[in-house]
Amino acid sequence: MTTSRSHAALLAVALAALACDEGLLPQSSCPPGFLGICGTVTFRGALPDSTDVVYVVAYATFPANQSDLFTFQPLSPPTLHLDSASRATPQPYTLALPAGTYHWVLAAWKKLGTLSPQNADSLLREAGHYRDPMDTSKIGTVAVAGAVTGVDFTVDFTNMHPVSYFFPASPLHP
Amino acid sequence: MTVRAAIALALLVCARLGAQATGVVHGTVTDTAGHRLDRVRVRALTRAGGIREIAVRYTDGSGAYRFDSLPAGWLAIDAALIGFDAIRDTVVIAGGDSVRMDLRLPMRPIIVSPTIVTAAKRSQLLDQAVTSVALVSEQQITQRAVNTIDEAVDKAPGVQFIAGQVNVRGSSGFVQGLGSRVLLLVDGVPANQGDRGGINWDLVPVDQVARVEVVKGAGSALYGSSAFGGVVNIITRETPEAWHARVRITGGVFANPPHAAWAFRNHTGVQDGLDLSGSYGHGTVRAGVSAGARHSDGYRQQDRADHWQMSGKGEWRPEPATLVNVSGAWASDQYGVPEPWCVSGHCVDQGQAFQPFLIDTANRGNRTRSDKGYLTALVTRTPSERTAWMARASWGRTRFTDAYPRRQPPLSTADFAIANRIGVEGRMVSRPDPRHVVTAGLELTRSDVWSNVFSGDTAGGGRTHIEGAYSAYADAEQTAGQVRMTIGARGDFLDVDGGGITAFVSPRAGAVWPTATGSWRASLGRAYRAPSLAERFVTTYALSFRVIPNPALQAEDGWSAEVGRTWTPRPWLRGDAALFFTRAHQLIEPVFNDSALVIQFQNVERARLLGLDLSVAATPPASHVTATLAYQLLEARELAHDSIPERPLLYRPRHLLTLSADYAVHAFGIGGDFRFSSRFERQDPLFPGDPQLPGKVLDVRASWSVQRLAVHVKVANVLNYIYNLAPRVLEPVRTATLTLTYTY
Repeated sequence: MTTSRSHAALLAVALAALACDEGLLPQSSCPPGFLGICGTVTFRGALPDSTDVVYVVAYATFPANQSDLFTFQPLSPPTLHLDSASRATPQPYTLALPAGTYHWVLAAWKKLGTLSPQNADSLLREAGHYRDPMDTSKIGTVAVAGAVTGVDFTVDFTNMHPVSYFFPASPLHP
Repeated sequence: MTVRAAIALALLVCARLGAQATGVVHGTVTDTAGHRLDRVRVRALTRAGGIREIAVRYTDGSGAYRFDSLPAGWLAIDAALIGFDAIRDTVVIAGGDSVRMDLRLPMRPIIVSPTIVTAAKRSQLLDQAVTSVALVSEQQITQRAVNTIDEAVDKAPGVQFIAGQVNVRGSSGFVQGLGSRVLLLVDGVPANQGDRGGINWDLVPVDQVARVEVVKGAGSALYGSSAFGGVVNIITRETPEAWHARVRITGGVFANPPHAAWAFRNHTGVQDGLDLSGSYGHGTVRAGVSAGARHSDGYRQQDRADHWQMSGKGEWRPEPATLVNVSGAWASDQYGVPEPWCVSGHCVDQGQAFQPFLIDTANRGNRTRSDKGYLTALVTRTPSERTAWMARASWGRTRFTDAYPRRQPPLSTADFAIANRIGVEGRMVSRPDPRHVVTAGLELTRSDVWSNVFSGDTAGGGRTHIEGAYSAYADAEQTAGQVRMTIGARGDFLDVDGGGITAFVSPRAGAVWPTATGSWRASLGRAYRAPSLAERFVTTYALSFRVIPNPALQAEDGWSAEVGRTWTPRPWLRGDAALFFTRAHQLIEPVFNDSALVIQFQNVERARLLGLDLSVAATPPASHVTATLAYQLLEARELAHDSIPERPLLYRPRHLLTLSADYAVHAFGIGGDFRFSSRFERQDPLFPGDPQLPGKVLDVRASWSVQRLAVHVKVANVLNYIYNLAPRVLEPVRTATLTLTYTY
């Protein structure tokens, strides 16, 4: 009997040892081991009533046509908090991205409605993007090989650009 | 002469008196723990004229026996009772003596192979099945104090649940509950959902379950579609004679998040439940009903759930050979949808990369109402020892509404589906002689769904789809010497929306040959699964993707083989090992088209699942300990196709280990389960940056029973290990539960 109890106690200790770590732990948005971009967004202008959501996305290459618009990363992009308190101060964001160079990091404003490749021009606006710190008239490029911080930019609700601003009109939307 | 005569007479009288002298032997018989044993056969033996029996007694209810007039002299007393070692002791008694002999019998458990009904669609001993079968007993269900039966099945060897989706030997992976590759039976009646093909584990009240049989590997040769990876048969209790009632009260608390950065509420979440059942049996008629309700605050944000259920069962035996059985159950659930968890930027993330207890703001308010039920009528008749037949009709119905209050037009703010599954089956089992058994049957199933999400209408309208399945099967077993050989096949003919018949034939062959310490078994069979109506016609939004239908979806199929060995080196020790192999084609998986932002179910994969399934159960005599070990080694690979190289299948752990131990003495018991599931080898393609951990969960329990009251205390995930298996779906945290059961 004593032997059985000893074995049971040993087994319990072994199991506890096997399971002694806690599993998932809190992880800062941009920890040293993070792969992607961290930064802040500063808001300007009044929030349009028709606002559905504002995403932060990145493109490895600047889209060459309208269908390239859907090559953004990550596939499930983070959204910005749009209540007035959240817009009052620079808002941190985090983009988990594969390693590589990204030529366009931007905030995409989306109007209320269901998005599809056919109605992207009417529902999406570019609301602001990361700019080259050396020449703010140019779009900034970000090389991701780990945690890249300081990718800050402004979202200006008074100066947003539709998809057609960047490309010639698509045959789908003459 | 006179003196001689007197001496002779005296000797004669003395000798006669000596021969007639008797004594008394009495005492009690107990086991080694001191429990008095009833109906023990106690014999008195003498050696006069060779060892021979001279008297037999049986102990009474207090374990006592008594021989009143045994002849004086040498005697042997032995005692024997089934389940114990026989013992013998000797005594010399003088005439007129009364001797007490208390006897203690060492326990010798008798291991009888359990009877199962699922592996061959008829009764057979577990050791006679050609495929692996795991059993979950009523005792194991009771010990684990579970709320739904999946919590107990989850600990069976070779079984793992991933966010509620059952995997037998890694068959299903995880597809949000759609298209289960495991067939659920309730008392032998198929119970998978008519639309999604998934399983409602909370449909059968847990305290109505007598045992669960899990048949591993392809079961299509007898059960057709859905039995691609295995069959789970929930067998409900038989209704006993006379009045009986049971009350089960459950209460519990959930641990709060272990880190302040994850806090999401300022109170402790609780759960509670009440189940009532009653039954009456007299003569040829028996019936029982049960009802229950549960509430849970959940362990995550938006995780509140309410559950109500009712069930009933009636039996009528008009004659000894005929049994008519009617049963049914209904359950309703209303719950928030707490998945997927929030990542940085999608909620008030407090600077965290992810918030496993919080819901994405875009999904706030999402709720589901789910109602489901079934009704079954069954007639079984055994007119002779050689023939038995059964006929059954069943109706299963599910209805759900998923509310998405934040959806924008033109999307509907509610997805709904109402599905029916109507089935009839006739089966005959014939035993023309002791060496042959033939099982044959016909089965017809009609499934329909009316839905706006499984409609196939990309404009979002509601439509009805109908699937008919017409099947015939036969299975023959022949015994040659010690070896049992089986061969069988099933033909299924499917018709979806009247679009033409598609046929599948699923053969299977197997053999079992017993040895002195167990048995060997081997089997080879074809597996197939027709796509569910949901997989064909789903049209909705998920994870920012448009999910589009694929009416041309084909059935997936494959071959499954195993070689197994059962051994019982000691009466208290039983082991089982199996090498299994499945080669699958046309596996149905969701395919993501990033550029078009769409998801569609397609036949894309060829896969290979190869593994070892091992289990050992020990009940050392007189130790009061029961221990089991189950281990599964799985090599699950998606084979190269198109431009994709060979790679691990998603959501399959290579190692799955379960250890269980219970110690019981008198009315008390303690025990625990430990489950280790290794980290998935392939990262989820949708969320490649997400952390992925192995599962390591320890549950502990204690119980106490006195007369009609039983108390169970369980702490699940006692170490509060925080992890997920399905993407961004937090597995349960530490949960303490107290269950009181009163049985009348």
